[in-house]
Amino acid sequence: MWESLNLKDVVALARDPYPSIRQWARDTGKKVVGSTIADVPEEVIYAFDLLPVTILGTHKPLKKAPSHLPDNACSLARSNLELALSYEGDLFSGFVLPQVCDTTQHLSDIWRINFPDKFVVSYLAPRQADRPSARYWVKEEIERLIESLSAWTGKAVNDDALRRSIEIHNETRRLLAELYDIKRKNPGTITNKQLFSMMKLSLQVDKAEFNKSLRSIKEGIKPKKGKGYTDVVLVGITCDPPEIFDIFDELKLNIVGDTLVDGTRYLQGAPALNGNLIDALADRHFKRGFFSPIHDNVYKNFEEVKKLYKETKAKAVVYVHIEFCESQEYDLPDLKDMIKKEGIPMHVLDTEYQTTSLSHVLTRAQAFFESLKGGSL
Amino acid sequence: MSDKLTSKQLSKKITDEYMEDAFHAHDNNKLVGYTTAISPVEIFVAHDIVPIYPENHAVANLTAKKGVELCSVVEGMGYTSHLCAYARSDLGYRKTGVTVTRGIPDPDLFLACNAQCFTLTKWFQVLARRGDLPVFVFDTPEHILDQKARKEIVKYCVLQLKELISFLEKVTKRKFDYDRLKEVMKYSAASSILYKKFLDMAQYKPSPISIFDALIGMAIAVYRRGTQECVDYYQTLCDEIQAKVDQGIGVLPKDQEKYRLYWENLPVWFKFSDHAKLLGSYGGVILTSLYVHAWSFDFDLNKDPLETLAENYVNRFSNSTIEDRADMAMELFKKYSMNGMIMFMNRSCKAVSFAVPTLKDVLTKRTGIPALVFESDMGDQRFYAESQVRTRIEAYFETLDRLGLAQKTAAA
Ligand code: SF4
Ligand code: SF4
Repeated sequence: MWESLNLKDVVALARDPYPSIRQWARDTGKKVVGSTIADVPEEVIYAFDLLPVTILGTHKPLKKAPSHLPDNACSLARSNLELALSYEGDLFSGFVLPQVCDTTQHLSDIWRINFPDKFVVSYLAPRQADRPSARYWVKEEIERLIESLSAWTGKAVNDDALRRSIEIHNETRRLLAELYDIKRKNPGTITNKQLFSMMKLSLQVDKAEFNKSLRSIKEGIKPKKGKGYTDVVLVGITCDPPEIFDIFDELKLNIVGDTLVDGTRYLQGAPALNGNLIDALADRHFKRGFFSPIHDNVYKNFEEVKKLYKETKAKAVVYVHIEFCESQEYDLPDLKDMIKKEGIPMHVLDTEYQTTSLSHVLTRAQAFFESLKGGSL
Repeated sequence: MSDKLTSKQLSKKITDEYMEDAFHAHDNNKLVGYTTAISPVEIFVAHDIVPIYPENHAVANLTAKKGVELCSVVEGMGYTSHLCAYARSDLGYRKTGVTVTRGIPDPDLFLACNAQCFTLTKWFQVLARRGDLPVFVFDTPEHILDQKARKEIVKYCVLQLKELISFLEKVTKRKFDYDRLKEVMKYSAASSILYKKFLDMAQYKPSPISIFDALIGMAIAVYRRGTQECVDYYQTLCDEIQAKVDQGIGVLPKDQEKYRLYWENLPVWFKFSDHAKLLGSYGGVILTSLYVHAWSFDFDLNKDPLETLAENYVNRFSNSTIEDRADMAMELFKKYSMNGMIMFMNRSCKAVSFAVPTLKDVLTKRTGIPALVFESDMGDQRFYAESQVRTRIEAYFETLDRLGLAQKTAAA
């Protein structure tokens, strides 16, 4: 189903992958397990012959979520809950829900209470990353996830299945990184929207199949440099709705680096295959860039952004703020200050799931990049 | 005349001495550690680090209606208006120095325990950046329902407490004294039992205390647990309340106590006494909440101190699942014979409030009692609509009356 997609198909599917996932589940008889973003080791779920799907909000209207989570809850959490409660809940046989912030902690509870008949487990990744106990805990949690999945499916997972799963995931990461590299150097070849749609979709569909599409997309590419692009670094957790990438494309911005959880952070830290696989998966947690703003504070975030900005020779940083994400909001004023002091032009883009009009985003971004070109920033 | 101090006098004395100690910590070779109200402060106490709770200081300012002034300043600095009002008012205090107390001493280090909320970790990080100070995050994964996972969580937390001790040893260049910790634990265990006894006096009819007494009475448990004086304070308090019980003295006279109410969430600090009066005029008295019970620990002195600390801090209501919160609340409903509930959706505190809609559904179903839900903010008056709250309260009591839920003992 996802083996021979071209870029156009990918963009269309990334916007709403659920009908195709539904069809795929029917055709293969396999079960679908949903997660929200942040560090759930999907390789483990996949090794059980289940389809891990990262839920990244819905663009359909909010109906039920507001009665569970008030309007000052982060819009991603509300949107994810809505997707499950109103639109796609029946597609999932189970959920593995990570907890990172106060909102996700409650989100997991609400979710479990609303789906009493489904398999729902919490994945409790540590909210500290620098001490030995963090590593110990990640490993414990991976092992607990394996135990829970075994108990639920009645299957054991052996090393071969896990190795095979990691191989497939590493292949996806490698292909996406290569495509990113092509796009970075040749913005006229792949648009921002196309690249980030590939990233997003790879978090949602069967990777063994999708890798074939990625490979053929890569092979079919004729690099085009393009003209008049401004290189930028994208910073944040995730960037939605996808139409924001249209705005970037329209403004001829070339995203040359990012720190998104469903962007570069997803590509980092491919687990090694030659040792203990659980250890390798735990290592991955620490080999990736930290999950801003959960794992560390602004200094690291700033250092990473600065490094990326310099390495890529970008012209500006675009920070994607998810409306009502408290964790981001505690960091943002200081991060802005540090970036400003460093002389790096920064544009903060406020996003909200379920947004229908993006005209204000376009106007503000336009003004920012025009003044950037005029050198007045 | 006895020269024994009353609980009120004792509380003042303990607080004054504590603040004196805090302000002169450096003169006495001690460090000041900022920590979260729910955190294993016993480790600080055992290591002679003076614990300071910016939340308490924030409460003083918010109760004195300084919220808008302080929060507005912070919004001008780029922080949004829907962050916790404790954090906002504290950052405002840092900027302006405005406070209704003598302020709080600056920190040397931080201990952020997630069992309360993740907000505090982020807030402490903001403060730490100002002085490039060390922050220790005590990460308490949610106390999920799976019993086996709970054991693992405790193990992870014990490991972290050991890391905390090494961290403190490094910062202070002093060896940690485990025997001293055992002693501190004895005081904490003893004061917790007495604190709980005090809260549980709300079982009596009429109740000798309301939640407003509990909120005042909890202060010492929050900032002085782990000391002998904390034990003495709760002994005095319990004796005083027992004397009221013996004389049949209630917050409301027995024949006027119609509604014994549960409160969900933190209080609206700047409406504290108004709410008590208003509810009293309808024969309502709020008896308790999960919030005030957050400091009634159940330390097991036969266990390794780090283990019993870990167990107790991970299982606080604020780190528990909604199912467990509902069970905890149900226990209170039964124990205190409550017949009404006020569920406050506090814009400031996402950590507590995002459970409220679900909790309300579960509790109303399980008790058969309707709930009054209202949204506002615990410290920022801009989010408080006086007339709306009054009307809702009035309507709520009318509903309870109509349903015949008033206590049988009440006057006709
Ligand atoms: S976007 Fe922010 S508030 Fe929302 S779930 Fe993620 S970290 Fe939590
Ligand atoms: S009020 Fe809530 S969000 Fe604020 S510090 Fe307390 S627990 Fe955290």
